[in-house]
Amino acid sequence: MYVRLINSADVLVLFRSAVAALITPHARRPPALPVGSVFKSTARPYHCPMSSTSPSHVPASVRGGALLQWFTGWWQIVHLGALILVLALSPSTYERATRATLAREVYQASAPILLWFLVLSSLISLVIIRIVVVTALSYGLSRYSLQMVVRVLVLELIPLTTALFVALRVAIPNAAEIAALRVSGEFDALTKQGIDPLRQEVLPRMMAGMFSVLMLAAVSCVVTLVLAYLTVHGFTTAALGSYTRAVGHVFAPVVILILTLKTFLFSLAVALIPIATVAYESRAAWLRMSAELQGLVRLFSVILLIEMASLVGNYY
Amino acid sequence: MTQTPVTPPPAVRNIEFKAVLLLILLAVLVGASALYVMYARGVFDETQQLVLQADDSEGVFVGMDMTFSGFPIGRVRRIELAPGGGAHILLDVPRKDAHLLTESSVFTLTRGLVGGSNLRAFTGVPTDPPLPDGAERKVLIGDATAEIPRLVADARELMKNLTTLTGENSALATSLANLQATTDQLKGPRGALGVLMGNEANAQKLIGALDRTNALLAKVDSIAAKTDVQVFGKAGVMPEARAAVEQLNSALNEARTSLKKIDGILTDAQAVANNAKMATNDLGTLRAEIDTSLRKVEGMIDQLNRRWPFSRQPEIKLP
Repeated sequence: MYVRLINSADVLVLFRSAVAALITPHARRPPALPVGSVFKSTARPYHCPMSSTSPSHVPASVRGGALLQWFTGWWQIVHLGALILVLALSPSTYERATRATLAREVYQASAPILLWFLVLSSLISLVIIRIVVVTALSYGLSRYSLQMVVRVLVLELIPLTTALFVALRVAIPNAAEIAALRVSGEFDALTKQGIDPLRQEVLPRMMAGMFSVLMLAAVSCVVTLVLAYLTVHGFTTAALGSYTRAVGHVFAPVVILILTLKTFLFSLAVALIPIATVAYESRAAWLRMSAELQGLVRLFSVILLIEMASLVGNYY
Repeated sequence: MTQTPVTPPPAVRNIEFKAVLLLILLAVLVGASALYVMYARGVFDETQQLVLQADDSEGVFVGMDMTFSGFPIGRVRRIELAPGGGAHILLDVPRKDAHLLTESSVFTLTRGLVGGSNLRAFTGVPTDPPLPDGAERKVLIGDATAEIPRLVADARELMKNLTTLTGENSALATSLANLQATTDQLKGPRGALGVLMGNEANAQKLIGALDRTNALLAKVDSIAAKTDVQVFGKAGVMPEARAAVEQLNSALNEARTSLKKIDGILTDAQAVANNAKMATNDLGTLRAEIDTSLRKVEGMIDQLNRRWPFSRQPEIKLP
């Protein structure tokens, strides 16, 4: 049974709730299940008493429990990521049934959004290119404008925008689907049939999310490079040499390595964290929608960390 | 959020094929981008190496261009510390541009106040032999920022001088105070004269002198008027002088006439003198002839004496 849970309005509601969770210090969090309970829908009763105490009055044992829970949550994500990577690198994964699911997920995660994401990113890129070029010209620094455009857009903004876009458009709905499958007992049914739900349902969605980030980022970067050339030099081939040289200046080996790593880590985080978060949450917790919110918050934190690390690597 | 089981999305035909197409598209994009960046970084260019020796490599970075006439013809590949101090800047110069660099080429590293450093090559004699692979050359460093410490030192000295100049007990302050006092005096009752003379008595003297000078000038005016009458009046000096000059002119005319007459007399005298000269010449001729005649007569008398025996035998008497 295929369950489609989330539409655009739901994503918006999720996003608002995530923001509320971010600014509320005492979001009620359910205890996470142990690692061994992957995809078992044994709903553990959860009773969290409402407490009006401030964080400074929280007993040390409770704070220690929260810390342990925090570590456990991250460990579960890393564990699932490792499992998925192992599965992804195993040739036995790519048998016919899985391949068909994989192809379907990859196509549905990329093709429908490719065109209008391209239009959107081109418009934003054009505006930013124009702003940078005109500002640099007014300060007499036009020789640096092209490098600045390439650095700002291709190295920084486009991978970040793509990751956020795919997270909201693909990864969160995928996570919701996984959660729904799990809640509806679909995973148990698959397990009983001898089919690994991890391989059958989770892996294709995760790989589709990763592929979507890589695909959109690659296409947008290429289109932005073309747009930058056309904006600065116009419709002529005369400046191809100098433009190529400027691009070559920007893309030093270290910069290429950081860009590649960053984009890959973005795609991994976007594909993994939302799904891993809902996969390990209890049913009762999921019903209160906290799993997706938690996943969104974790995802944004990780994206922020990756971006900061890449900035440090590029400019320090 | 409510979970609402929905029907699966409509199946897309040839979905596996389309997914493979997407994968191929991604692979092509990434591969083409990688190739383009490698080409942009000159990986496919055949290069030769050039080593530039500099005192310090500040402002130089790996990947920096070396320009020739504004066009990049080389790229810094590595910067290393020279064994004896200084820096070695290793450049890759594409073979297709290497002919622009000759044995006599000069390399400069200039650092501007704003923006990065510039590595430039200049070739004065293009016909010189081309630069060999792995050549080592000194790079001349022109550093605008190196001037800043000297500029700051000069500025500091200038400020010190200005401070001294504008200090409380400085010459300028004293001069300004004196100027202030002078201005006060100028605004006083004695005005500029008081400033110039120093006290009122001298100023009064000066005013008295001015009055007397005025009186003197009035007298000079009257004298000038009288002189005018005396000199240029009807009976003045000037009309008489004019008459005297006219008389002098007539006298001069008469003298000129007299001189002309004297000229004529002198011409006649010259003619007479010429005649006398000619006569003198004739007298010379006559005298020569007379001399000749006398010698002939003397010869004849000698012959007569030899032939005529009546002549007395001369005696020679010794004392």
